[in-house]
Amino acid sequence: MTIAWSQTVPYLVVLPLAGAALVPIVARRDARAAGGFTFVVTLVTAALAIALTVRLVVEGPLTAHVGGWVAPYGIELRFDRLGAWTAPLAVFFVLVVPFAWRYLEGTVPRDRWAAFYALMLLNLGGLIGFSLTADLFNLFLAMEVVSLSSYALVAVAGRGTAAWAALKYLLLGSVSSLLVLFAVALLFALTGSLNLPDVAARLAAAEPSPAATLALASLAVAFAVKAALFPLHVWLPDAHAIAPSPVSAVLSGLVVKIGIVGLVRVMELAASSGIALDLFGELLMVLGAVAIVMGAFLAIFQDDIKLMLAYSTISNIGYIVLGLGLGAPFAVAGALVHVVNHALIKVTLFLAAGSIIHQTGLRTLTDLRGVGRTLPQTCAAMTLGAIAIVGLPPTAGFISKWYIGLGAFSAGRVAYGFALVFGALFVFIYYVRMLNAFYFRTPTREEVAAAVEPPWSMRGPVLFLAAACVIVGLLGGFLLAFIMPAVGDLLPAIRS
Amino acid sequence: MVLFGVDVDYLAFVVLFCVGLYMLVRKSNLLKKLLGLNVMETAVFAFLVTSGMIEGADPPIRTAGTGPLFANPIPHAMVLTGIVVAVSVTAVALALIVQIHAHYGTIEVDELKGLP
Amino acid sequence: MRWLGLALVVVAAATLMLGVADLPPHGAHDAPVHTHVGARYLERGVAETGMRNLVTAVLLVYRGFDTFLEVVVIFSALVAVVALPRGRAARSRDGDDQPPAALLTREGPAQERISVSPVVAFVVQLLGPFIAVFALASLYRGHVSPGGGFQSAAIFGALFIALALVQGRERAARLVPRGARVWLQALGPLSFALIGGVGWVLTGAFLGYPAEAAAYALREAMVVAVEIGIAVGGAVILAQLFMAMEG
Repeated sequence: MTIAWSQTVPYLVVLPLAGAALVPIVARRDARAAGGFTFVVTLVTAALAIALTVRLVVEGPLTAHVGGWVAPYGIELRFDRLGAWTAPLAVFFVLVVPFAWRYLEGTVPRDRWAAFYALMLLNLGGLIGFSLTADLFNLFLAMEVVSLSSYALVAVAGRGTAAWAALKYLLLGSVSSLLVLFAVALLFALTGSLNLPDVAARLAAAEPSPAATLALASLAVAFAVKAALFPLHVWLPDAHAIAPSPVSAVLSGLVVKIGIVGLVRVMELAASSGIALDLFGELLMVLGAVAIVMGAFLAIFQDDIKLMLAYSTISNIGYIVLGLGLGAPFAVAGALVHVVNHALIKVTLFLAAGSIIHQTGLRTLTDLRGVGRTLPQTCAAMTLGAIAIVGLPPTAGFISKWYIGLGAFSAGRVAYGFALVFGALFVFIYYVRMLNAFYFRTPTREEVAAAVEPPWSMRGPVLFLAAACVIVGLLGGFLLAFIMPAVGDLLPAIRS
Repeated sequence: MVLFGVDVDYLAFVVLFCVGLYMLVRKSNLLKKLLGLNVMETAVFAFLVTSGMIEGADPPIRTAGTGPLFANPIPHAMVLTGIVVAVSVTAVALALIVQIHAHYGTIEVDELKGLP
Repeated sequence: MRWLGLALVVVAAATLMLGVADLPPHGAHDAPVHTHVGARYLERGVAETGMRNLVTAVLLVYRGFDTFLEVVVIFSALVAVVALPRGRAARSRDGDDQPPAALLTREGPAQERISVSPVVAFVVQLLGPFIAVFALASLYRGHVSPGGGFQSAAIFGALFIALALVQGRERAARLVPRGARVWLQALGPLSFALIGGVGWVLTGAFLGYPAEAAAYALREAMVVAVEIGIAVGGAVILAQLFMAMEG
């Protein structure tokens, strides 16, 4: 029997989700077995995603019709160049899960490990489903799987403060989900279809209506909340800083990107339905630029390293949104590449920060003075991550920010180009502050002086990711060449 | 029936949605906020079901003696699914509220804001 | 701050009014919503799926992947609630400090039984078997009449809660054997994954159902397996959510 590769796409979603259902069963005898099982499931998922990416390059986009019903009568999953980001996504989980094995000891009680790993797999499956589905209602459901597991992961380490941060996240997140559902209902009432390309085609054929514009606007607002775009970011810092570090890495590097993927879907819908969102591009640019500067500015004042990284995420989401809003081909391509690059860098930084916190029990820059001497490898990884997020060549952050900036100047939006440079300056300041504290101050706390490097299950992923920050930076051109063909579909929406 | 230029069923949706939104943003008690969220969800479900309805049609179950007009089955399926999602979110929110109460001894946002 | 909230509500109301004012008048049979995908389901659904209840046909056959994610969502809710430590009354309220171990055990402090009127208890126990039969019937008849897996799960869940209230949690908990819980709660996602995989082997598409007339019995068996997975899995999850929500 020959396997049709396109029909294996649903398994990218099903494997982690069914795996999650099995985790409590595996964990009955030994809670540690859950960690190993979860690792295997993420590994298989990543392998399938990479295989599908190879097929994608060879034979073009892969489309699966679930149940054999052709769209618009059934649900369609598309593995295209944008959807291929699920391959690095799954690889990040492969690295985060082993990191969590030892990290959980002492931070999360053993009887909750099974739930933790199950939530991680649910999160992965939801993220993949959200990125691949071409069906509006399916998109909503996948988003809810991601959201529910994220709320719980924030609170899993279990103090009341974490529950309060998680509830704030839940209330805002649910309003945003509700807006998505409302938009889906509106679009369905207008067109009678749920398949994205079909909805777009039917909207294009019908007379323009304020209801369609309202639907797109409420989708855009909802996804801006999920992406923590600047004025709608209030839920993010607490939630990301309080969560256990492997969770922070996933939330900050990957989960916020569903907002970006969602915004890209809105742009696609607008582009192919001919609904002119006049203000949309302008608004994205302004909010993106404000987010870059404000996120970086607020990060400077944080003493808690995880809170600082959380604000840095707000700033980086600004870069991506600005790139999308600019609408110049280079800027959009740079933004899409930055989705992956920021994920890589932020996972590196949060895991490195998590190692430091785990080994010393301290989390503020003041307490962590001189930690570079006792944890040289982990701090070297942290430094590489910091260089990458500032955007210095030859690291991963450079190429994407360079192209966003290039796009800004080539589109004649010089002011935004300067916002970008200005933001980079702030970022530079706060990471220099961090490196100064780590390397050039003497330890004031004995925990720091007595700290030893973490076990290899934690150190390995961190060092690997740090190396990847440089390697991906050197190979940045490939990513850009890979994503360029997908950019054209997005452009008409923003070039008004 | 049309009221203020809007079909009265859609108007009911808008009113219900805004009642929920008001509870969510103005009430200080977390349980009341959650109730507000649920009212908003109900509003959207009502909107969905309304959009699938046809004047004088039977439910979409094709047994003998029904038809010829049937309501649209897709919104029914979506609302059924949506209700399950709403229940799930509510369950998680309630569990978190229990946690918050256990730790802080209050579920009033006004009081929570001042606490560490 | 007071006015900000109110202003938000007013702005939302105005925007929504503007948006819905323009929708096609509802209830008209020729609106776009009724002439596209839904119309095809109504026209060919019975022949293509063998189900007279087209809502069930949409849920299980045409949009089965949605329903898969739906059972995953409710499973996520259970895992999320289990992932949190057991809640207890505020320390300031009851004054006594529990040993830290009590925070971490699944059982928590011993349950108080709520005292209920014997009349209510008697009626609930009397009706119990009938409610269970009703739940089974709505599962079994779900493809030809109103009902289906989720409705059945909801009725079973409600029955469990009613019994737990009149008989105490410990006795009700015995309805869901401890050892089987981890399997039963996973039944929804697992049955979908399994039947979906069978469909993939048979038809080449995940969650596909064989369409040939000869495979009628097989198709029926697959649908029933998924429905039972939804109903049992859903009911066990609802029961466990209730048990986990001790305050």
